[in-house]
Amino acid sequence: MASQPREWTGIQQFPAATQTKLLELLGKLKQEDVSSLTVLVMGKGGVGKSSTVNSLIGERIVTTSAFQSENLRPVMVSRTRAGFTLNVIDTPGLIEGGYVNDQALEVIKRFLLNKTIDVLLYVDRLDAYRVDTLDKQVVKAITNSFGQKIWNRSIVVLTHAQLSPPDGLSYEEFCSKRSEALLKVIQSVLNSGFGSRMKKQEAATPVVLVENSGRCNKNDNDEKILPNGIVWIPELVKKITDVVSNGGETILVDKKLIEGPNPNERGKIWIPVILAIQYFFVVKRIQGAIKADIARENKPLWELRDMGLAKGKF
Amino acid sequence: MSSLTAPGQFFTPSLRPRRKSTAAASAASPNPSPSTSAFRLDLRTTPSQTPRQKCIKSRILLTTASAATGLLLQFGSGSGSGSGSGFGGGGGGGGGGGSWWRWVLGSIAYADDQGEEGRDWDPHGLPADIVWQLGKLSAFKKYKISEISFFDRIRTTTVGTEDSFFEMVSLRPGGVYTKAQLQKELETLATCGMFEKVDMEGKTNPDGTISLTISFLESTWQAADKFRCINVGLMQQSKAVDIDNAMTEKEKMEAFKSQEKDYKRRIERSRPCLLPAPVYREVMQMLKAEGNVSARTLQKIRDRVQKWYHDEGYACAQVVNFGNLNTKEVVCEVVEGDITQLVIQFQDKLGNVVEGNTNLAVVRRELPKQLRQGHVFNIEAGKQALRNINWLGLFSNIEVNPKPDDKNEGGIIVEIKLKELEQKTAEVSTEWSIVPGRGGRPTLASFQPGGTVSFEHRNLGGLNRSILGSVTTSNFINPQDDLAFKLEYVHPYLDGVYNPRNRTLKASCFNSRKMSPVFTGGPGVDEVPPIWVDRSGCKANITENFNRQNKFTYGIVMEEITTRDEGNHVSANGQRVLPNGGISADGPPTTLSGTGVDRMVFGQANITRDNTRFVNGAIVGERNVFQVDQGLGIGSKFPLFNRHQLTLTKFIQLKDVEEGAGKPPPPVLVLHGHYGGCVGDLPSYDAFTLGGPYSVRGYNMGELGAARNILELAAEIRIPVKNTHVYAFAEHGNDLGSSKDVKGNPTEVYRRMGKGSSYGVGVKLNLVRAEYAVDHNSGTGAVFFRFGERF
Repeated sequence: MASQPREWTGIQQFPAATQTKLLELLGKLKQEDVSSLTVLVMGKGGVGKSSTVNSLIGERIVTTSAFQSENLRPVMVSRTRAGFTLNVIDTPGLIEGGYVNDQALEVIKRFLLNKTIDVLLYVDRLDAYRVDTLDKQVVKAITNSFGQKIWNRSIVVLTHAQLSPPDGLSYEEFCSKRSEALLKVIQSVLNSGFGSRMKKQEAATPVVLVENSGRCNKNDNDEKILPNGIVWIPELVKKITDVVSNGGETILVDKKLIEGPNPNERGKIWIPVILAIQYFFVVKRIQGAIKADIARENKPLWELRDMGLAKGKF
Repeated sequence: MSSLTAPGQFFTPSLRPRRKSTAAASAASPNPSPSTSAFRLDLRTTPSQTPRQKCIKSRILLTTASAATGLLLQFGSGSGSGSGSGFGGGGGGGGGGGSWWRWVLGSIAYADDQGEEGRDWDPHGLPADIVWQLGKLSAFKKYKISEISFFDRIRTTTVGTEDSFFEMVSLRPGGVYTKAQLQKELETLATCGMFEKVDMEGKTNPDGTISLTISFLESTWQAADKFRCINVGLMQQSKAVDIDNAMTEKEKMEAFKSQEKDYKRRIERSRPCLLPAPVYREVMQMLKAEGNVSARTLQKIRDRVQKWYHDEGYACAQVVNFGNLNTKEVVCEVVEGDITQLVIQFQDKLGNVVEGNTNLAVVRRELPKQLRQGHVFNIEAGKQALRNINWLGLFSNIEVNPKPDDKNEGGIIVEIKLKELEQKTAEVSTEWSIVPGRGGRPTLASFQPGGTVSFEHRNLGGLNRSILGSVTTSNFINPQDDLAFKLEYVHPYLDGVYNPRNRTLKASCFNSRKMSPVFTGGPGVDEVPPIWVDRSGCKANITENFNRQNKFTYGIVMEEITTRDEGNHVSANGQRVLPNGGISADGPPTTLSGTGVDRMVFGQANITRDNTRFVNGAIVGERNVFQVDQGLGIGSKFPLFNRHQLTLTKFIQLKDVEEGAGKPPPPVLVLHGHYGGCVGDLPSYDAFTLGGPYSVRGYNMGELGAARNILELAAEIRIPVKNTHVYAFAEHGNDLGSSKDVKGNPTEVYRRMGKGSSYGVGVKLNLVRAEYAVDHNSGTGAVFFRFGERF
């Protein structure tokens, strides 16, 4: 944020209909006294995060590659339009070599330090048929890093939405199945979290379908539409604004959030009490048990006789 | 001859076959001990050696501590020296704890040794098959006796050698005796009180030897139906009143009366004896069955009573007399072996008595009070004294030796002889280790001289205080590489040597180096670069020993902890292997300070309750250990923490078995639980790790995780098979979700599960356990060989 954010010129490339819709939405936000919006884009590698960012901004700012990850560090793109600032943070893929890339996560966290996240876009592909443990790990990693609350301000973005579903399934059916599966993963991670079972997801995380390809079908207004006829760019922005206006707190990424609560500090104040309990209830008890043991010890007969306890019995 | 055939009320059994010289002047004879140490307990202990690294090594001991500690609990010839002829020699030999027969054999040997020029004997020079009386023999000839037989005149039968009377005769077939010896033997037999009449008859044999027939008339007394056993130890011997034939009837009656009165008083004065009721009953039955009390009966009673005493360890107990015969009650007089004195003496290497360096109170407090004056000597108390003194580790040789008290009849002096170990010892042991050089081949430079230098100054001031130091390195040329040192001062009897409270102060400086199991990879993680944790510092603690197994230790530790990587560089963070194969040094922090070096002072306490014991070699009982490390806020980052762990282990005997040597041990179920937790600052080197042979078997050390709180549960069943046992076990370790509460979450960084179970079976082969354990996380099994016990 050192440099003055540039004017959002990309917006002019959108078809006129889209532009109107977008401006309308942004205006709505302004009414709610929201003048800047920070969107964090996260997801596995190669699902189309950067492309989505490019599509959203309308510029080719983030280099994308179909075959390898290009960006190893997060990139923040800031654009202003009519006094409204949109920050989009693109991040490197979280999965590398079958594992969550801790280092990437670490880099992202450090990048985000002292920034406020308004919306998280969790990006995955629509045309992936299954969810696996990897998805779970990514969700878990995000949760562990930014806390569970982030899911209250997140949108699941499914890319590659222009597809023909497998036989016997309608497009809608397929989409809902796929998004359901992903939401389930998120929900399960949230539920498995220690001691936070009470916090059910207040509202279901919204799902947006996205097609970044240039071959994306267009409607009469030259707007990119999905097979189900939805114009997706305004839809995405609308969902973002919805989340901003409905959602709870924004996520301020500070040191505490990144490192988590310092476990070394927890309960420190109780140490004197713990020590006292240990002394009186553990050490004393064991001492008592030892004394009982010694008293109960089987003395050999000769010792008993010597002590005059035999009384001629043995 | 038949001086005792009168209504004698005393019977002094000649307890042992007597030697020819016994009656006369045992004081003059040096009383050769038949078997110098009837009982010998030999616990050879080698001084513990500091464990050294496994290397090819050759040890050169320059000076060494005396390696073995010999222990000796001795029963010398407790021969009732000079206990007066009336006392019947009290059965010389004191009936050492050893077998009775051995003693007899020993005495034969003695007789043979003494047997004047045993090689030669004179033929009788008479025609064969002539029966002669003893008086007819020539006084100058030595006769060889080829055969001895006993003829019981009452039963008119010949008594076999198994008869108890046979023991009374010191003559043996094949021996060579003069007429005087034979006469003395006859006299002895006649006066021992067992016989009313004894005769010796010889028959010449064609080969010049003679066959001897001893015909006897056993003494009998009026039937009795009561039995009483009294302890006459330390009492004056009752003396028989001489009954002269010249006395008038009246005088005789008076003499008897006074004798009877005396005896009554004696019984009253005597102390009760230890003999228990069941043995009393047994003896009474014996009396009832016999009818008239005969010498044989008395002998049987004597044997029974003595057997009980000796079986129970009262090795110095003896039946010395039977009194009150010819009344309804048989009184058995026993000397139980009352200790009149306890003598502790030190000996030098040559066995001379010297003034020892050790304070006597140090030895005395180890002695069971049953060895003190006024108690009855018991061999078990002696053994215990032996063990306890040996435990001190101050003496190379220990003898506990009961010996008859010359001044007090029937008294025992317990003599404890100690040989002190050298106070100062130093030891240098060297070893050469071959380190693989460049290219894996050893070069000249890769032969490293290493070894240990240690010294010990023990028993400072005679109060068993000691200073011990050792320095170990694997390379003397470059000792800074790995130098292990230890300096320890031990100060026992903190509350004074006379205070029964047993507290020991121990102060030590130390260093140690260990590989941290916190920085270990989980399954599938190739290799995590290791982190070495070096600790050096000082500690002082006080141990209160409640008894040998139970103790309470508390003290303070001051240490510096340095974490290093493989290259010996101080590292503040663990390393991890990146997916692309690179190594990054931004893993979990290794220390609290974040610099790789922590200094801290903390309190430490440990209480151990252990009531386990061995039932035929299987351990049974319960063991509880609680340990707390309490940070005091002194050190880097002012560490304040309470790190605690509780271990509960129970060995449950599943079947009642008879205890005894060679009996099979019972099957045992072992239940084990271990909880560890920490509140406050927790550096990674103090985190609890899961997995490993002492945590969850089947996994590597730390393979399951490193956490703030852990719980381990284990069950094992041990079934004895032949001389060893087989076992099956199941174990589980869990981090209770507290892995994330360790800074940097090393469990997750190194991709560990945080929990895991295993099960398996194994067999114990001496010290080694061979086991097959299945790791439940991956479902694969492996065979492990481990030393020592899991629990």
